[in-house]
Amino acid sequence: MPVLQSEVDTTRKFIKARLLKDRASFHGYETERQHIRDLLQRTAELGESNSVLLLGPRGCGKTTLITSVLAELLPQQTFHRNTLIVYLNGLIHTDDRQALKSATAQMNLENAVDGKVFGSFAENLAFLLECLKAGDRKKSKSVIFLLEEFDLFCSHHNQTLLYNLFDVAQSAQAPICVVGITARLDVIELLEKRVKSRFSHRQIFLFPPEDDFDGRVQLFADLLKLPTEQQLRRMDATYTPIPKEALHNDELVLVRNLFNPMHFYRFSPKWVTEWNRHIDALAKNQTVKTVLKNIYDYDALEGPFRMLLLELVNGLDEDRSVITVESIQELGRSYEADDKVALVAGLSVLEVCLLIAMKHHSEIYDRDPFNFEMILTRYGKFANSSSTMQNIERSVALKAFEHLKNLELIVPMTGVGGGSKVLKEYQLHRLLLTYGQISQAVLKMQFLPTEIKQWAQSSLI
Amino acid sequence: QESVATPKRNIQLSNIVEECANGRRVSRVLELTPKKTQPDRAADDEPITPKRRGRPPSIAREQPVVLVDEEPKTPKRRGRPSSAGPSLSTPKSASKMKLIRSGAIKPNIHSRDAPVEDGANDLAIARERLHVSSIPTSLPCREKEFDEIYNFLESKIYDGCGGCMYVSGVPGTGKTATTTAVIRSLQQLSDDEEIPKFDYIEINGMRLTEPRQAYVHIYRQLTGKTLAWEQAYNLLDKRFTTKAPRRVTTVLLVDELDILCNRRQDVVYNLLNWPTLSTAQLIVVTIANTMDLPERLLMGKIASRLGLTRLTFQPYNFKQLQEIVMARLTGTSAFNSDAVQLVARKVAAVSGDARRALDICRRATELADDQSQKTNQEVTVSMVHVQQALAEMIASAKVQTIRSCSLMEQLFLQAVTAEVTRTGIEECNFLGVYAQFEALAAFSGITVPNTGRAMAICARLGASRLLICETGRNDIYQKILLNVSTDDVHYALQASKLL
Repeated sequence: MPVLQSEVDTTRKFIKARLLKDRASFHGYETERQHIRDLLQRTAELGESNSVLLLGPRGCGKTTLITSVLAELLPQQTFHRNTLIVYLNGLIHTDDRQALKSATAQMNLENAVDGKVFGSFAENLAFLLECLKAGDRKKSKSVIFLLEEFDLFCSHHNQTLLYNLFDVAQSAQAPICVVGITARLDVIELLEKRVKSRFSHRQIFLFPPEDDFDGRVQLFADLLKLPTEQQLRRMDATYTPIPKEALHNDELVLVRNLFNPMHFYRFSPKWVTEWNRHIDALAKNQTVKTVLKNIYDYDALEGPFRMLLLELVNGLDEDRSVITVESIQELGRSYEADDKVALVAGLSVLEVCLLIAMKHHSEIYDRDPFNFEMILTRYGKFANSSSTMQNIERSVALKAFEHLKNLELIVPMTGVGGGSKVLKEYQLHRLLLTYGQISQAVLKMQFLPTEIKQWAQSSLI
Repeated sequence: QESVATPKRNIQLSNIVEECANGRRVSRVLELTPKKTQPDRAADDEPITPKRRGRPPSIAREQPVVLVDEEPKTPKRRGRPSSAGPSLSTPKSASKMKLIRSGAIKPNIHSRDAPVEDGANDLAIARERLHVSSIPTSLPCREKEFDEIYNFLESKIYDGCGGCMYVSGVPGTGKTATTTAVIRSLQQLSDDEEIPKFDYIEINGMRLTEPRQAYVHIYRQLTGKTLAWEQAYNLLDKRFTTKAPRRVTTVLLVDELDILCNRRQDVVYNLLNWPTLSTAQLIVVTIANTMDLPERLLMGKIASRLGLTRLTFQPYNFKQLQEIVMARLTGTSAFNSDAVQLVARKVAAVSGDARRALDICRRATELADDQSQKTNQEVTVSMVHVQQALAEMIASAKVQTIRSCSLMEQLFLQAVTAEVTRTGIEECNFLGVYAQFEALAAFSGITVPNTGRAMAICARLGASRLLICETGRNDIYQKILLNVSTDDVHYALQASKLL
């Protein structure tokens, strides 16, 4: 069928943007979302202080949930005029000093001028606490603290920041809401007992749905389908942009550049129906389902799955205007491929010979560590009897050995016999490959001499 | 005074002249200028101690003049005022910082559009009263402790002498609330002029970045100014060690005492030594969690100064917790009394923490609120809501997490338990687990993922702490530890298709 180049381009751009930037629309977890939304709304409107932890495995949509709640609440005047949002990340704010500076700047307190905070750490802490203490429930703005990677904040000295935030939330001061986001389920056990007592023990768990393969196929179709005119119109009606004045905080990057389907993308209705019909057919195809099932069995979370689809969509161009069953199969194959085998298969013959020697050594001595001399002896026995590998010098073999070490296919032992004091020929090493991986790689290398292939099978020469 | 200042100036000058003559640096000249310009401007609005106002400006004013005579590089000086001109933000922020340190700028937070209105709903009122922050005027079930602290403080204030007290108890048993309530009622009495006037200062160990900042905080609460800790210490020491007529008694509340203990323990020593001086008239009340902190952590001389006036707050039992919650709810009919009892019993069995009981009750009102919104009729908080709230806030979620893992992750967990049972040791090796994994997969008819993928599974389970793994650098030799009990794994996977 004749397809316009521009249609494919826009389709690719649209789906890519949706996969990457669509953090505002969120499906599933209705009760959890409602809980967080109510909590933030009550903090903003009634001046209630709260603390909550959002827990769930990596890639299940914790940040997306918060973003979608904020994208829903921020357009409301009653919300954004009465709240300050402070975003802290455990990976960026690695100690309380930095976290405090950033919080002070984001709250735009008196000691911050144009985002620069003055004074020492002690002064900053004292000033922030005085400010919060000076506020009261009825008159001052609510502050929402979002602490991403919450578990990393627990490792700060004395947990000063956490203690103070939770303490403010539990005393009659400015209303604040502390939202911690983390993947660690046992994070509460990391808190000191006085910090733990001040935490309200509200934990919201995000569990991915159990054994829901049909849901995954549905998601596959939903993420790849294009919106019809009708859907676009409905989206347009519900879409409320976040006003400029609500986005004064530079650090709150979550709610910036949210996906807006209305602005750029125009499709002809005919193309949309055609494309959607094709995607529906794909979702019903048994081969596609098998690939999806394999992926689902391995990883049930939505985040990684979206990234996989991105790879699929990236391949679209004028020659391949639709997603084919073959491209999905290809994706499944590359998903399951063993990278280490591919790495070994690209090595030179000498290096593979050394690896085979290491494999034999490990098999015989039950994964005991080895050094270069042992491997060279074992290899030498083979090389003497072989017709192709006879005249290889010792220094060349040592170079090959070091190359294997640099690729981290073997690692030096730490401790006894592995220290840097030992000469490199005698340093003990361990093999980081399973025997299966080596045999697979040998099978994969078509150009290997038959002798070597036979030697790989058995250590007898 | 002039004779004192001269030799100092000479020394400074000769240093500078030498440096300049060698041609090493002239930056010192530049550094001096703000000294000249700023005190002139700031002296008007900022109260500085007379000592400082006397000498340094005069030195600074004279120095550049002398320098210019000896130094041929005059343009430097001429250029100075213009170079200070463009950078506007520095003087602004510097003067602002100065104002903050002198206590002229009051810290405050942005205010909202319109003040919050109170909820009219019965549940909303109950929820507001149940918030931990709304401390009642009289704390129920702490009358005895209240009297004890009250008697101690009142007698010390009457006599005008100093003393120490140590209050301990697990978190959430009303230590700080009771102590501050005592002090509030004493302040009320002194306002009515029934007892002598006294100053009240409080510091909290956890609100300090390091123990020595305690001096800064105490000094700030006495005068409103922020100084460096050395200065604050000297001034405080002077204040407490010198005799002054008409000095009023100072009550100092030290919360989280254990954080103030560093290795040298100089801060704690000073805080507890000052009350022993007859000139100080300082009463120190210290609060911490552990009962035997003085014996365990403090040096002998400090423990001796802390004295034996001690008070321990016992954890609340279920009757007391019930009474606390009911006291906050008087006048509302939002709660079923059985529901309160259930909360009290559950919490008393775990920790006796009043904060926990109140938080659970508050969550229960939220759940009731949701229901009343759904059904559109008034709902009181009953057993059902409380049970749901308890399940949310006390139960752990390990079993459910295992259930929501992907098939391969479940299989991997099972492989770890199998390896633990096989070897009999808790800690197992990735290679061993992988062998079990392959065997289990073959048994269930699943193609097994390669080691790289299995390692990724292991890392994922490690990230949510179902397993404890070593770093990835050890690759296939990494050690793996099961962080949940094997029973939990079996229980969770009972219904799974794997078994």
